[in-house]
Amino acid sequence: MSIQEQSVDRKTGIKKGKYIHLAFIAPHLLIFIIFICVPIIFGIYISFTKWDLIGQPIWVGLDNYKEILLNTESTFNRQFFDGIKNTLLFVVFNVPLCIAVPLAFALVLHMRPYGSKLFQSVLYLPTLFSVSSVGLIWMQLLNRRFGLASLMGAKVQWATNMPHAWVALMVMTVWWTMGSNMVIYQAALGGVSKELYEAADIDGANWIDKFLKITLPSIRFQLLYTLVITIAGSFNVYGQPTIMTRVDPAASPAIKVLVYYIRGIAFGSGQSAAGIASAMAVVLGIFITVVSVFQFKLIRSEDE
Amino acid sequence: MKSKLSPRRIVIGVLMIAVCMIWVLPVFYGIVSSFKSEVEIKDLNFHFIPETWTLDNYKYVLTSTGNTPILKWFLNSMLISVITSFGVVLLISFACYGYTRLQWKGRDKLFYTILAISFFPQIVNIIPLYKIVDTFGWVNRMAAVIVPALAGVSNMFLMRQFMLGIPKTFDEAARIDGASEFTIYSRVIMPMLKPVITVIILFSFTGQWNDLLWPSIVYSDVQKMPLTPGLQLLMGAYGNFYLASILTAAIVSIVPTFLLYIFAQKYFLQSLSLSSGVKG
Repeated sequence: MSIQEQSVDRKTGIKKGKYIHLAFIAPHLLIFIIFICVPIIFGIYISFTKWDLIGQPIWVGLDNYKEILLNTESTFNRQFFDGIKNTLLFVVFNVPLCIAVPLAFALVLHMRPYGSKLFQSVLYLPTLFSVSSVGLIWMQLLNRRFGLASLMGAKVQWATNMPHAWVALMVMTVWWTMGSNMVIYQAALGGVSKELYEAADIDGANWIDKFLKITLPSIRFQLLYTLVITIAGSFNVYGQPTIMTRVDPAASPAIKVLVYYIRGIAFGSGQSAAGIASAMAVVLGIFITVVSVFQFKLIRSEDE
Repeated sequence: MKSKLSPRRIVIGVLMIAVCMIWVLPVFYGIVSSFKSEVEIKDLNFHFIPETWTLDNYKYVLTSTGNTPILKWFLNSMLISVITSFGVVLLISFACYGYTRLQWKGRDKLFYTILAISFFPQIVNIIPLYKIVDTFGWVNRMAAVIVPALAGVSNMFLMRQFMLGIPKTFDEAARIDGASEFTIYSRVIMPMLKPVITVIILFSFTGQWNDLLWPSIVYSDVQKMPLTPGLQLLMGAYGNFYLASILTAAIVSIVPTFLLYIFAQKYFLQSLSLSSGVKG
């Protein structure tokens, strides 16, 4: 510290003072402010206006919120509740699956079966691919008439029939996304002290005790971290249901999540109702923020 | 001890082979199907393995122009993803030097504030972001997808964790020798970041290559768009007619990220243990 503050840069002769850090953080901070902070504030403002993306936004107060939340006559109201219902369902199904499944795989790989490196790569593989491509493959695969599903004697179109479409969506999502949580757990398990397990063995603990009392507490930080990321990601779901839950590629998807509606209302064909779309986005944002802030506090207390 | 055959490790290994075979099935199915003809792929009498293998779909993907310039989309995506990954590495390593190697008041507070803001859902920004990008004249231009991606904070968390693990003695020694902060960043710290840089390149390349929502909003020009919105467009417009070709385009689109993963694999777990906050 003292060396840093007192020394003088030989080339420039400028005393290395308190502000050198600004040079380092400024470029990123500038982009962060322009492309993340400003849009958030602007987005919240837009949600109180009537706006078509082109002209001047007109202040309408809480009208957009009333329209989507209370006006049962409105199409936007119907779309909002359909979207939020599907998004919440997705969160409820996806979060436990995308924590438990990768954790189970990480625990199995941690037992170091022969070929564990290869297994890890294979299980991680789908996360590398775009939702456009894996969605297309799955849509084709599930096709009852000429896909792999026909070979297995599927009676219904899994991609569109309810509730089968949900099963298909969740299977595909776990398959596609669980790799990233799995490698985090793998890394975490690698860091758990072996002595703890040895001590437990001496005490005659069984594997359930060891799992609950040693493994889980030791990787709690990573569990929390993945929980935050997975919940936020699940609320933002868009690609998988939009691409995969249809049989006719030109038709609209069977499961329409909120982001799908928001995108359609703001940027779809026809006149844009960006104010309404923003209000929907803000409500979704409040959901995510409440959950994230709570968990974020936990993370921070762990980190310090 | 270790060289001894362990029955448990064999049994689990065999079970995992079965799981992995199921796991690669969709991709394998996609690859095999890409060699089927358009007629065969819609044949109601399903065969997993093509009866006649054909390269027609690949020919279509590589030569298609006009309204479906698949190869061009591929190259657009490549350029966008390469520029993004290098931009992210430069900008974020530079910023993280300020957030880890220098001491200043409110440093960690600012970092955590940025992190907290970044948790705010992307969907709220997207409508105003479109307006901002439009104001800059970036609609249908690469800057529209590259520049906002540079603000990405998730990679910053990873970079910061890694940098915190580098002992302070390195910088202090250089400082005593009279090196400027920029010299310490570029000559001392940067060379030590290779593992984390490799992983950040993998993440930002893959993230950009696979992004769908944002590019599908800022690109309307068919000639300029990247591959993911292109594929979506292709599917909506021709999905019923060129199924085999579209599936083949999807298969081709997974090649670059796959190759990059193989290249980056060496550093993968090592860096991830840091991303999840294990103290280095």
